[in-house]
Amino acid sequence: MANAIDRYITVAAHEVALDPEGYLVNLNDWSPEVAQALAGEEGRELTEAHWEIIWLLRDFYTRYELAPAMRPLIKAVKQTLGEEKGRSIYLMTLFPESPPKVAARLAGLPKPTNCL
Amino acid sequence: MVLHILNRSPFASRVHEDMLRAMVNEDRVLLIEDGVSAALKAGITLLPTIDERLYALKEDLEARGLSQRCDPCVNIVDVDGFVALTEQADKVVSWF
Amino acid sequence: MTSKRILIVLRHAPHGSSWSREGLEAALVGAALGQEVSLLFMGDGVFTLCSEQQVGALGQKGTAPMIDVLPMYDIERLCVDEQALIARGLETKDLMVAIEYVDPAELIAEHDIVLTF
Repeated sequence: MANAIDRYITVAAHEVALDPEGYLVNLNDWSPEVAQALAGEEGRELTEAHWEIIWLLRDFYTRYELAPAMRPLIKAVKQTLGEEKGRSIYLMTLFPESPPKVAARLAGLPKPTNCL
Repeated sequence: MVLHILNRSPFASRVHEDMLRAMVNEDRVLLIEDGVSAALKAGITLLPTIDERLYALKEDLEARGLSQRCDPCVNIVDVDGFVALTEQADKVVSWF
Repeated sequence: MTSKRILIVLRHAPHGSSWSREGLEAALVGAALGQEVSLLFMGDGVFTLCSEQQVGALGQKGTAPMIDVLPMYDIERLCVDEQALIARGLETKDLMVAIEYVDPAELIAEHDIVLTF
């Protein structure tokens, strides 16, 4: 069940379709360059700290086939990257507004359905 | 008291068996939609031991022409009675 | 918001309908919102717990990854009506996760809200 195409962004001469909320229409379109382009649109700079969360989310999706809400995201970060990073405040600093939604978009996941 | 709402016929589905396993003595059963066929004499034998704690929705019985065919132990309630039953219950569990 | 104890009862087999997915989705939403969620598998719902499940013939998502993700949402209590396993000739070794046998009536009494799927 594909989402409706709202617009495209151009990444390395490819047209990448986005849904009305800015998430990828085809999850297979994702590449690190796509993530950079999506971050650029929002004026976000992706540092190493952002990337480790993005890769973690992609692993999470491969394993569980869903984009996590805040609590399970924190738990996954804690398990993989340690107590220091497995905190709401740390993730809020990296991905202000809503870490599960912002980071899922950058990681090429669907919008988390089970979070506010 | 838990109100269990059954909307499947006990002649077609076995969900009533799960419902019975999830009930305690004070609980009530309300039959709605296809579940009202459990109000027939042959139906209540599939719901043993509930007796006077068994209710059936009048509108659904009438629609199926079953009002006069209910076992006398069944309490027939209208929509207001349905609302009252849910208000008296601590929680409601649906079986479908 | 005070935390409610929510019991999600899963009574339908996976794949044949969307009931089990919807029930598990409801469980995840409840847990994501900070509620205390338990699951009860009754009737054909126990098939949701079988090991070795795969995607459907047309590539439809199953529910096995959703069962796997439950601990990440702090949903730790997976309860089974033993009668449902016995009736289907299944044993705990057929299941993909550790479960707890319960009396369904007692479990319902322990929760504030019961949602059946």
